[in-house]
Amino acid sequence: MKKNWLGFLLNPFERIAGGTALAWGTLGLLLSTLLAWQTDYHYHGLLHFGPAPNPALWCFAAEHVIVWLIPALLFYLGGLALSRSRIRPIDILGTTLFAQIPLLFTNLMAFLPFYKQMSALDPATSLEEQLAQVTAMVAQPGFWFSVWLAFVSIAFVVWMGYWMFKALQVSCNLKEVKLGVLFCVGLFGGDIICRFIIGLLY
Amino acid sequence: MEEVRRKLPLHCPACESPLRVARLFCKSCGTEVSGSFELPLITRLSDKEQAFIIDFVKSSGSLKDMAKDRGISYPTVRNLLDDLIDRIKLLEKGDAL
Repeated sequence: MKKNWLGFLLNPFERIAGGTALAWGTLGLLLSTLLAWQTDYHYHGLLHFGPAPNPALWCFAAEHVIVWLIPALLFYLGGLALSRSRIRPIDILGTTLFAQIPLLFTNLMAFLPFYKQMSALDPATSLEEQLAQVTAMVAQPGFWFSVWLAFVSIAFVVWMGYWMFKALQVSCNLKEVKLGVLFCVGLFGGDIICRFIIGLLY
Repeated sequence: MEEVRRKLPLHCPACESPLRVARLFCKSCGTEVSGSFELPLITRLSDKEQAFIIDFVKSSGSLKDMAKDRGISYPTVRNLLDDLIDRIKLLEKGDAL
């Protein structure tokens, strides 16, 4: 039983893909959008998060959809070019969206009080004032615990990346160099494209 | 005494080359045939690959049914099939050489 769960956490796509993964992924996307909206935690790209000037719910929803569809599209086009298997768009869409579920946990980081204080720092103020604000923040009880939690949230981004890798491997049946190259294109190239498109929303 | 079901060896334990059949005999009359015969292609596949082929036939070639029966996703079954096709092509290529 334990082994099954560990196997699922390491590669859920051996068990679920297609419509099932898409349904769970959509649920994760909706929850993530609402959490991000509540905490003003914007997705600037696939790997970049933080505050942004547009507080509208549609903007958060659009960010989530862009961050899902751009890497999925890159994976699909790459899969068509590199894979010898007959790949299905629904598998790529479903597994890519499911792979982003761990990002839900990074959204929770935005509930930490220090995150809001950091976001509130005004770069227009003098350096001395900003330093004074940061010093006051560091002096608060629980600050270092919050910093540690922020590092834990990075683990969830890594987990998302690992699941994206597995999503590509299973949905496109790629191996070795082809898999590595297309994954890097989808993740890092996708991040750059997402940042450009999302930048147009602000 | 109960007969032990032994696994058919496919490769030479000394040099890893594919093995061939040198001797066959009839269990009922004891007639023996000797020579150098090649193993059929399917017997040269691993146990897992042979089990996959049997499941594939039993499910009338439906990958969706196979995925359901095995409790795995459709693309995982399709990937197993594609890998098996590659392996069969490789074996056939080896035979042709």
